[in-house]
Amino acid sequence: MNTTTSPLLATAPPVRPWAGRLGTVAAVLAALSLPLWFRGDFILFMATQAGVMMLVAIGLNLLTGYAGQVSLGHGALVAVGSYTTALLMIDAHWSFWLAALAGMAVSTLAGLVMALPALRLSTWYFALVTLTFAQVVTDLLVEWRSLTRGFSGLVGIPPPAIGAHVLGPVEVYLAVAACVVLAFLGVRNLSRSRYGRGMVAARDNPLAATASGVSLLRIKLFAFAVSAALAGLAGAFYAVQKTVITPEDFTADFSIFFLLIIVVGGLGRLWGPVVGTLVFFLLPELLGPLQSWRLLIYGVVLLVLMVFAPHGIMGMPVWQRWRKRPVASDAPAPGARAQPVQRLSLAVQDLHKQFGGVAALQGCALVAEAGSTHALVGPNGSGKTTTLNVISGFIRSDSGAVLIGGTDVSGRAPHRIARLGVGRTFQTPKLLHDLSVRDNVRLGGFASERASAFEILFGLPRARQDQRDGSAAAMTLLRFVGLAERADDLAGDLPHGQQRLVEIARAMAGRPSLLLLDEPAAGLSMDELDRLGALIEAIAALGTTVLVVEHHLELIARISRSVTVLDRGRVLTAGTPQQVFSHPEVERAYMGREGTGGAR
Amino acid sequence: MWIDVVVSGLTAGSLYCLVAVGFNILYRPTKVFNFAQGDLVMVGAMASALLMTQWHWPWVPAFAAAAAAVALLALLEERVAVAPVLRRSASGTGWIITTLAVAMIMTNIVGKVWGADPIVVPAPAPLSNDMLGLSAVNISSYQAALIVLTIALVAVVELLYASLWGKATLAVAEDRDAALLRGIDPVAISRWSFALGGAFAALTGALAAPVLSASTGLGAMLLLKGFAAAAIGGLGSNRGALLAGYLIGMAEAASALLLSPGYHNAVMLVLVLAVLLAKPGGLFSSLEARTV
Repeated sequence: MNTTTSPLLATAPPVRPWAGRLGTVAAVLAALSLPLWFRGDFILFMATQAGVMMLVAIGLNLLTGYAGQVSLGHGALVAVGSYTTALLMIDAHWSFWLAALAGMAVSTLAGLVMALPALRLSTWYFALVTLTFAQVVTDLLVEWRSLTRGFSGLVGIPPPAIGAHVLGPVEVYLAVAACVVLAFLGVRNLSRSRYGRGMVAARDNPLAATASGVSLLRIKLFAFAVSAALAGLAGAFYAVQKTVITPEDFTADFSIFFLLIIVVGGLGRLWGPVVGTLVFFLLPELLGPLQSWRLLIYGVVLLVLMVFAPHGIMGMPVWQRWRKRPVASDAPAPGARAQPVQRLSLAVQDLHKQFGGVAALQGCALVAEAGSTHALVGPNGSGKTTTLNVISGFIRSDSGAVLIGGTDVSGRAPHRIARLGVGRTFQTPKLLHDLSVRDNVRLGGFASERASAFEILFGLPRARQDQRDGSAAAMTLLRFVGLAERADDLAGDLPHGQQRLVEIARAMAGRPSLLLLDEPAAGLSMDELDRLGALIEAIAALGTTVLVVEHHLELIARISRSVTVLDRGRVLTAGTPQQVFSHPEVERAYMGREGTGGAR
Repeated sequence: MWIDVVVSGLTAGSLYCLVAVGFNILYRPTKVFNFAQGDLVMVGAMASALLMTQWHWPWVPAFAAAAAAVALLALLEERVAVAPVLRRSASGTGWIITTLAVAMIMTNIVGKVWGADPIVVPAPAPLSNDMLGLSAVNISSYQAALIVLTIALVAVVELLYASLWGKATLAVAEDRDAALLRGIDPVAISRWSFALGGAFAALTGALAAPVLSASTGLGAMLLLKGFAAAAIGGLGSNRGALLAGYLIGMAEAASALLLSPGYHNAVMLVLVLAVLLAKPGGLFSSLEARTV
């Protein structure tokens, strides 16, 4: 890895040639210096303002674009940051830098108090609570006169200073530009890390996220906290740039502007907020005499874009050419997969589960020795998938216990169970269709990567290490399932059978001690079936305990050491494959012989 | 003094409840929470106000015309802003942004056409906004009628949902594909629900106009109040919405008395957050709120 670049630039997969990266840096620097070449303060003022808006939009894109939580109250968070900074500077004579930090902290805390209850619920609860919050902040700026000075607002906000040196407009612009660059790089690092994958998973497929050990609430709160802190920082600059702030600056439309910016630029696209902000500042010039219809036009733009181009400008096919083709780093990571996993046994005891009037489980029990492969079979509706869901925590049983390695996990949240080393697949593969196959596999490693958010944000060594190791491990796994050549394709483009294999690779990325497979053979071709058998044997050889729900008897006979047969939520029999398949009750219930109605 | 709080709380609360019931009508079968609902109410208020004050229509045809017009508007919204987004991804949340955009468009068009000044609307004929000469209670005949009518409307909606059509709606809410197999057309149910929700919104607006006056600001205000009533009462529960509406109305009136009228939204937000924290599904949730 190149050691001379700044750490911030180095987290990208080590693929882009030097020249390209230098070119990007030069282009960005040139673009940033553009406003300095104009005479007069107007362009500089507008550019600073655009930088402030961009800062908010970059954060909002992380929250709304990546994590999928629509905030309609970011304008209010800017207001909170702005007023906090200004009040501390005017009344308490704090320096700008300390006051700005306080502004970020207050914005984040106020935001978290508001967001916490709503983030537990559907997305639109959050949208409406943030909208209400925006209204409340607007009200309070006027009403809470003793603090905010009411309508007249705060005047005489001093410019920032370093020691005795007072910053002029050019230096304030440069400071804002530096913050924008840092925020962009930080969000870029986050979006490419396990946090980014966790956010996209929480947005597109919460079940897949949870099964990979992602806590939905925590990842959403994290995205929100980052975006709120950036909004607070933007507010601090907003205050010192304008020197006067009033409630008029922070109307309800202010929050909508940020949403407009990221929708125009492209939700969940790295460059979206940058492009969106530029368009937003150019648009009024283009509208000319239509200025008074501005808000109406914004509404129409939002509607038309969301219906016809939901990924905005940066989502248009034109940009596909610019997407770099990462060269798959084919060097096998030494030791990335060689260590055996911790061996855990599985015991399920007397599970009962009632769905309304249907008794799905009535005393289901099974035991799988550590490191063995155990099959769960039975006719449709016999409670196999329900058992799997109870073990992995997606369904809470009415009574009974699930012991993993001797620990009773019943009642624990599914992402916590996943973090104990329990991987699973689903009957219909739950992949993130907009991410590459490689990133889908890497999602499975969410809980096992070590770098903290702070390290990732600033691209510190451990984050880069995780990035390299994770990528190499994912490639190893993809070779393991025979899909290495499709690593950079979008997961949604893969045929069904291959999606199953990717899902198994994802579950394996978490280095599970216990792997739960729900009908992995369904819909596979003969060829793929063979590969699956070998794959499961290879997984078991690593020491992983495998519990497989399957109808394919040959496969079961080949891979499993023991079998449990369920019928209508009860254990019909259990034993080795040979014992079980020759059991007369099994032949009747499972094979549907003698037509006595065991299988419907 | 406190009896005034109760009266104004019940009056305002009735209106909030009606907005929330409008949300419920749409939400049950479609799982879409219409961000333009407040503005549908606003258009209903403006249209009926215009017909009654400028064109001097009697209130019955004015209400009916407003209801028909807003029902069409809601159908248009469903076709243009909701159906295409849901077609692309049934579980996605793009409709949050599209229905919000529809709200922006309606507010701004109505503002351009009718101006920003509120239209004062008299109470329909036999009723009036003048205080009845009761010794202890300051209440107008229109307020009393509004409170009673709201309870009646909630009862009617509940009865409607107990009917076959209502059960079909709930079946669609439960499982679209299974409902389809039973011969229920989810698309038709969605459209009818939007039309019905629109008509109900218009009626709400027409009823609100004599109390709140008709203005473009109604939309954003009632969106928030209606959401609060729906969230506190439990989404999908109309009886919950009624009680939550009263709760919010009275909390507002009390805070106006004790603090300052400007704090009503803050008080409401605190109530919403407290309830969501303690009971995420709301106080009387009938549909299971989808918690994480």
